Amino acid sequence: MALLGGYSAGSFPDYEVQGAKKVHFSPYADNGGSVMAIAGEDYAIIAADSRLSTGFSIFTREQQKLFPLSNTTVLGCSGCWCDTLTLTRILQARMQMYKHEHHKELTTPATAQMLSTMLYYKRFFPYYISNILAGLDENGKGCVYSYDPIGHCERSNFRAGGSAGALLQPLLDNQIGYQNQEGVDKTPLPQDRALAILKDVFISAAERDIYTGDGIFINIITKDGIKADKFDLRKD
Amino acid sequence: MSILAYNGGAIIAMKGKNCVAIAADRRFGVQAQTISCDFDKIFEMGPHLYLGLPGLATDTITVMERLRFRLNLYELKEDRKIHPKTFSSMISNLLYEKRFGPYFVEPIVAGLDPVTFEPFVCNMDLIGCPNEPEDFVVGGTCTEQLYGMCEVLYEPNLEPDDLFETVSQALVNACDRDAISGWGAIVYIIEKDKVTIRHLKTRMD
Amino acid sequence: MALAEVCGVNSYLDFNLPRNNDNFQGEIEAYSKNFSNNLNLAMPPFANPAENLSRFSTDENGRKLKINFDHGTTTLGFRYKGGVVLAVDSRATGGQFIGSQSMKKIVEINDYLLGTLAGGAADCVYWDRVLAKQCRMYELRNRERISVAAASKLMSNMVYNYKGMGLSMGMMIAGWDKRGPGLYYVDSEGTRTAGQVFSVGSGSVYAFGVLDSGYHWDLTDEEAYELGRRSIYHATHRDAYSGGIIRVYHMKSTGWVHISDEDCKDLHYKYQEDKEKLRNVRQ
Repeated sequence: MALLGGYSAGSFPDYEVQGAKKVHFSPYADNGGSVMAIAGEDYAIIAADSRLSTGFSIFTREQQKLFPLSNTTVLGCSGCWCDTLTLTRILQARMQMYKHEHHKELTTPATAQMLSTMLYYKRFFPYYISNILAGLDENGKGCVYSYDPIGHCERSNFRAGGSAGALLQPLLDNQIGYQNQEGVDKTPLPQDRALAILKDVFISAAERDIYTGDGIFINIITKDGIKADKFDLRKD
Repeated sequence: MSILAYNGGAIIAMKGKNCVAIAADRRFGVQAQTISCDFDKIFEMGPHLYLGLPGLATDTITVMERLRFRLNLYELKEDRKIHPKTFSSMISNLLYEKRFGPYFVEPIVAGLDPVTFEPFVCNMDLIGCPNEPEDFVVGGTCTEQLYGMCEVLYEPNLEPDDLFETVSQALVNACDRDAISGWGAIVYIIEKDKVTIRHLKTRMD
Repeated sequence: MALAEVCGVNSYLDFNLPRNNDNFQGEIEAYSKNFSNNLNLAMPPFANPAENLSRFSTDENGRKLKINFDHGTTTLGFRYKGGVVLAVDSRATGGQFIGSQSMKKIVEINDYLLGTLAGGAADCVYWDRVLAKQCRMYELRNRERISVAAASKLMSNMVYNYKGMGLSMGMMIAGWDKRGPGLYYVDSEGTRTAGQVFSVGSGSVYAFGVLDSGYHWDLTDEEAYELGRRSIYHATHRDAYSGGIIRVYHMKSTGWVHISDEDCKDLHYKYQEDKEKLRNVRQ
């Protein structure tokens, strides 16, 4: 008691004590970006814009968002960039494991299924990525697979995803799927026209979507391999 | 879910060469349930003046009635047809009066100048901030899809027939990617000496 | 050691060095555990994901994330004298955006088993795939096909382990086994029940309206298909989250048969025309 004797009751020094504070942590970031893929008879084209942003600021104007997984498969990712990095790293490792175990590369449809399973593994804390996978199937025909964040996967011939997905998709339905067009002959889409539509459509998306712009990286997948290309968009 | 998306619906207006088009879907629904497929969201406010009111259906009707009232007073007092730009200001004014308890509509005006027959389109947000672009305006529950379509399909100085095709394709394809718009569509092509109204055959799901 | 020297391998390099110090050991496996055990999903780093996941729906700037899973459906199935008929739509919606108009909502588990899916698309497809594997394993182990009752029970037990975690699925499992045609309803809450007539999904109320008024045991095959199709059509017309293509399947004693895939748009105008004709006849 002697020690405390110096202080009489009620005259303890006043320390500022902070009350319990709850800090919210958001594990997800939206880094924007759009991906689009078109499949044809003997080719597949996939493109992603090169802007990596957060809110109203831009991290970089030349981020590659396409990930070649094999000679016939390319994955395009947009959404949370940190999730993308993890997912693609695991995916690439799995592709390599398969190759070394079986002495052949995983086909595109098999890769598509594997990706779906990997996404679903994180069902209760999902990867925040909108994935589009493009490539050639066993018969050399172009194919495009699109995903929701928890791995629902569907094969189609054209698909747009990411921040400008809603802007681009109805246009693809109309121009490539010939929806709501009567009396048109539905010929298979030649590669140069697909490329032209793709560029046109990205230019329009960059006009209206602030998370899409700067440029696009394009990968053209044919039986001869993957050809990379670049195309500039508006940078504002 | 936003109250603006409670009933669903989409509207688009586009300028052409000496003409202007305005088009809307025909759905009246309550969230997922479609109640009717013949609901009007576009109203004739003058011989060359049309008003589209996407948003909450009850406010669509109220705002239209109140605007019609103010418009009648204006035209009685001034004894001349209203200019679309003036009409837009009138809407903007009406909406801003309810700044802190707004009507849940995002009006779209399309028309021709009563004197010069210049095309005019305009849209605004629910508290009346006007926007008068050179090309097209969109509103409703699938604006993203509509913007995507319009950005690609739009060309300046389209003839009435081409304008009709462009507007219809933009609207119908955008609605096909929106769950709560569609179920029929109506297109008005406004020219100096006539207004053509066409109904479109669309998906009904 | 001559060879080792030629190859330039140092003698102190031990290929059997225990890799305990490797921080990343097994990382690839850890990120895909469900490859080896399909039932094992990653646990989130927080409790009660059904409620708490939605708290992460904004990014660090407070912007709303578009983390919408594909949803929405009308599916139906009924037993009648000719077996089981299943009919489904094909729309997948993420929020109010239509993600797909051509989704396959009937999963062909094997030649004698079909599953329909409603609710979360990824949930249903994943667990149907796991079920397909287990049914095949059963066949290999027991040299006979699995019964519908057993298959549906496998499914219901699997998803029951994740009850309360936010899975969302309502499925029908239809099949033909020793006991004849079977139809079960299984959902993520753990319900599993056999029955004659089911409809699941956001448009089911509309589908039931048509289905119940037209259903009886002695339908012919054609009548049954048309009843299923028409019920789904009416649901797609009234329900915003159903639409696309109407698919009809028939489960017979010889296995399932795919009857038809029809676009809602074509069906609508066909039914409309029929209605007009009927009206003209009456006048």
